[in-house]
Amino acid sequence: MEISLTINGMLKTVDVGDENTPLLWIVRDLLNLKGTKFGCGKAACGACTLLVDDEAVRSCSYPVKFVEGKKVTTIEGLGDRENPHPVQQAWIEEIVPQCGYCQPGFMMATAALLNKVPNPTDEDIDNNIINVCRCGTYYRMRKAIHRAAKLQAEINTNETKEI
Amino acid sequence: MKIRPVYFFLLLAVVGVVLVFANTPTISNYKTYDNQGIAQQNPDESYEKMMDVLTHQRCMNCHPNDNIPKQGDDRHPHYFGMARGDDDNGFEATSCNTCHQSINNTNSGVPGAPHWSLAPASMGWEGLSRAQIAERLLDKNTNGNRSHDELVKHMTEDDLVLWAWEPGIDADGNQRTIPPVSKKEFKEAVENWFANGAIIPNK
Amino acid sequence: MGDKSSGAKKVSRRKFLVRGGLGTIGVLAIGTYIFRNAIRREILGTVNSLEMPYTDNTDQPMVWFEVTSENNIVLHSPKMEMGQGTFTGIAQMAADELSVSMQQIQVVHAASSTGNVDSFATGGSTSISGLWQPLRELSAMLRMMLLKEASQKLNIDVTQLQIDDGVISGTGKSLTYAQVAEGVKNWEVPDTPKLKSLKEYKYVGKPIARVDLDAKVFGDPIFGMDAQMPDMLYGAIVRPTKIGSIFVSADIATAENMPGVIKIVVEEDFVGVVAKSMLEAENAKNAINVTWDSYKDLNTEAITKIITVGNGKSTIIQKNGDSLNEEGDLVRLEFRTPIGAHAQIEPNGVVASVDGDSAIVKISTQVVGITRKEVAKRLGLDTDKVNIIPTYLGGGFGRRLHTPHAVQAAVMSKAVGKPVKYFFSRKEEFQHDMFRPPTHHVIKGELNTDGLLHGLEHEFVSGDVGNNSALIPNFLPPIIGADVGAIRGGFIQYSGIPNFRAVYWHVDLPFATSWWRSLGLLANTFAMESFMDEMALKANKNAVEFRLQQIADDAIGVRLKNVIKAAAEKANYSEEITNGRAMGFAASIDANTPCAQVAEVSIIDNEIIVHKVTVSLDPGLAVNPDQIRAQCEGCVIMGMSAVLYEQMFVEDGELTPTIYGPYQMALMKNAPKEIDVVLLQGKDTPGAVGEPPLGPIGAAIANAVRRLTGERLTELPLKLSKLTL
Repeated sequence: MEISLTINGMLKTVDVGDENTPLLWIVRDLLNLKGTKFGCGKAACGACTLLVDDEAVRSCSYPVKFVEGKKVTTIEGLGDRENPHPVQQAWIEEIVPQCGYCQPGFMMATAALLNKVPNPTDEDIDNNIINVCRCGTYYRMRKAIHRAAKLQAEINTNETKEI
Repeated sequence: MKIRPVYFFLLLAVVGVVLVFANTPTISNYKTYDNQGIAQQNPDESYEKMMDVLTHQRCMNCHPNDNIPKQGDDRHPHYFGMARGDDDNGFEATSCNTCHQSINNTNSGVPGAPHWSLAPASMGWEGLSRAQIAERLLDKNTNGNRSHDELVKHMTEDDLVLWAWEPGIDADGNQRTIPPVSKKEFKEAVENWFANGAIIPNK
Repeated sequence: MGDKSSGAKKVSRRKFLVRGGLGTIGVLAIGTYIFRNAIRREILGTVNSLEMPYTDNTDQPMVWFEVTSENNIVLHSPKMEMGQGTFTGIAQMAADELSVSMQQIQVVHAASSTGNVDSFATGGSTSISGLWQPLRELSAMLRMMLLKEASQKLNIDVTQLQIDDGVISGTGKSLTYAQVAEGVKNWEVPDTPKLKSLKEYKYVGKPIARVDLDAKVFGDPIFGMDAQMPDMLYGAIVRPTKIGSIFVSADIATAENMPGVIKIVVEEDFVGVVAKSMLEAENAKNAINVTWDSYKDLNTEAITKIITVGNGKSTIIQKNGDSLNEEGDLVRLEFRTPIGAHAQIEPNGVVASVDGDSAIVKISTQVVGITRKEVAKRLGLDTDKVNIIPTYLGGGFGRRLHTPHAVQAAVMSKAVGKPVKYFFSRKEEFQHDMFRPPTHHVIKGELNTDGLLHGLEHEFVSGDVGNNSALIPNFLPPIIGADVGAIRGGFIQYSGIPNFRAVYWHVDLPFATSWWRSLGLLANTFAMESFMDEMALKANKNAVEFRLQQIADDAIGVRLKNVIKAAAEKANYSEEITNGRAMGFAASIDANTPCAQVAEVSIIDNEIIVHKVTVSLDPGLAVNPDQIRAQCEGCVIMGMSAVLYEQMFVEDGELTPTIYGPYQMALMKNAPKEIDVVLLQGKDTPGAVGEPPLGPIGAAIANAVRRLTGERLTELPLKLSKLTL
């Protein structure tokens, strides 16, 4: 089956085989974007979190047929070294990752959170960020999420001024 | 006494199905129940059948009274602290639909159906008696301002309600249990009970 | 117990040689490491306090460095990066001795073909401390080689030359390292030069950002799961769900004809499927009907019964003074800890390619040398025909000290003549983990008239940690009588007590248990430090004072006292309950690193909530204080997760649960909002960091709960009893 989607800003048509294949494997193996991780395959750990039309989705539990015509954003498309997303910038400034494996999922979930709640409280963070990190980087992540909210607000303010 | 009603019921069921197919139901023509002859089944029996389904974990797990969805046959609180949120659909960024889509997922074992979400808080049934559930069901203040006809339609046609009979496999690959009453029987019981005036027994 | 690390290490003389390729400098390092030849108890005491020195191969050329034409240094690390910041620490050490900037150092995992293979493992909190001396020496030697070569090329005396960020200059002339190295065939190899003084270091001791930070923030494909090879196929392996299952036979007829299936590989010890895609391999695997011969009727109660002090074989691992007077006024408490899963987020995975008489294996492993040896043995190849290419680890924690899947992938690859990728499903990860063994502890103590301990005895039982692992030679356990991993943290650290004894009991469990971050420390410290708190209460003494009064003033004792004082002071330790919050105190020594913690706890909606943890750690010289803090934070949270939530069960012969959620772990909402870390330096070399802070957290929380509720919780995971609620 052929699926057309916009992946990290680029329109692509891919032959996905079984239309119910989890989006995760299409992203990782067909589109060769390895930043989205396999952790459990049961939508339990959140390592595979990415954005579909700007909403957080656990891609191991999302049939690829549902992305037809939609916009998919992975960690590779969130930002890059030259132009990091505020969440990535905050993660760098707080030196969050340890082993690093779960981090893309957390950053994608955080990006989705900041889209909905630009200035999240600790309670908002506790409710929405429910991925699993084994190294225990939650303490720095929380600081990074608050910092990302500030960075994003600064960018928004600057953009407003420019207009 | 024990066998007869079953045959009678089956006959009625066939008639019912024929009628349903003959008149593609819409909200307006549901008003014709009492003319369809289904009403002759014992409404108290229908009530109990309906309640056997509504109190089953497949239904009850998403009608909580503490804003926390439940999971599994043991009705444990949904893992990871998921809760109702402001719109019955979880939290702002991590909603029901972060994991649950419009179909069951056979790879992950995550269940899904259209508009997967919690029933409104006013429809919290958990821990209530059958009569209390029925009261909430019938009260327009708690049932989303639904008329009897609209309730029948919701209960017999809504994909999320009917998901209870096609709940898919769990994370371990095992089939989820389904309610003790078949989908067909449930629909008929709902229709019959409402057709007979939706009277709560012993009240 | 004294600081015994210094005598156990003899740093080698090292030689350099040159390998082919422009500007590539290889290093032959000869390392020697002499185990202390001491009596059993002496060895065991050493094991508990020892910082394992780095042990490398002795007879093969090892590539440590490459000088690139861009004037950067590639450092081939024999230690894996599994989150602890090792790559950053060793980059700092190398950069300083090589006189280059941090940006000029690129750390990579040494492939086994470089010869730079760790003969032990990455683990035991040994990487930075073990490489501290040899890596700086190697770096200094390379610097001297480059300097001497530059001296010849520039015709300037070495004493007139200076180095700045990899550029050697003097009397107006200069050459980069790359220019110096270009074309050199015969290097003059100096004796190990004098190392720079700490004051001269620009990077060591500074909170440098992790060198892998960008890769991990921008989603680079650096993990074992991300590895691929051209024309790669996917493998799946049929694994039993019941403990103790032995493969008998398999019906593969249906699976063979399923879509995408290339081959069903039936070996004596496993059945594998090779297919075009992972999902096709999984589907075919599920269609294979395997007959297993297995244990029956095992459950958690049966395991608990086995894990009971008095079962199995005992060894006295520590003894001082007399035995306890059993007739006296003894306090006796029992503690239990459950089976724990590693639950690292990256499943074990591997890509293997076997072509004729050689094999390439890309894998996240903590044991490059053992993985190589096992693959070579199974394929009947010489070890130098097997190249293990290690990747970043998506969490190690001891889970990757055992890599039979590398062998299985290699066998499947050989069977189909193409590279095969294989990884565990999450259920397989949970059921085929090598778990943290459950433990049982009986602790007895007796106070004297001054309210101090007159005697203390710790008896505990555990399954395998080090025993039966490829890391511990089979001859060792019978000699020393105890499992070197299980006894970590089981010693009595209150050396001022006149009479004490620690007795270890070993039992065999019907399922595999092994190394889990900090080994016995988590369980042993929970039991011992909970008991100490109970004794302080009985003696009506402040828990901190009670501890301080019973520690001797030897080297490690002084360091332990200092971390205890520092944690208490930083946390404003108090035994008053304020705003519904109580503080709990605990301390431990692991791998010669003392740590103390204060947990601030309340009970909200019948749940134990940890609001703040103060950590005081003495890791010796802090190579990277920020990463040491990160380790303290991470250990506190991982430890909290283990002591408050985690537990594996055995039901109907199966290990369960098999997924996150049912296997409850700490989430963001459970992590303390405040973690305060105080670092002390009680010795002048780097010590262990990655595990020691896991010790105190369990008892610190339990001790706070005791002060809040009056209830002494003696089992992990900590659960308030109905009585308390």
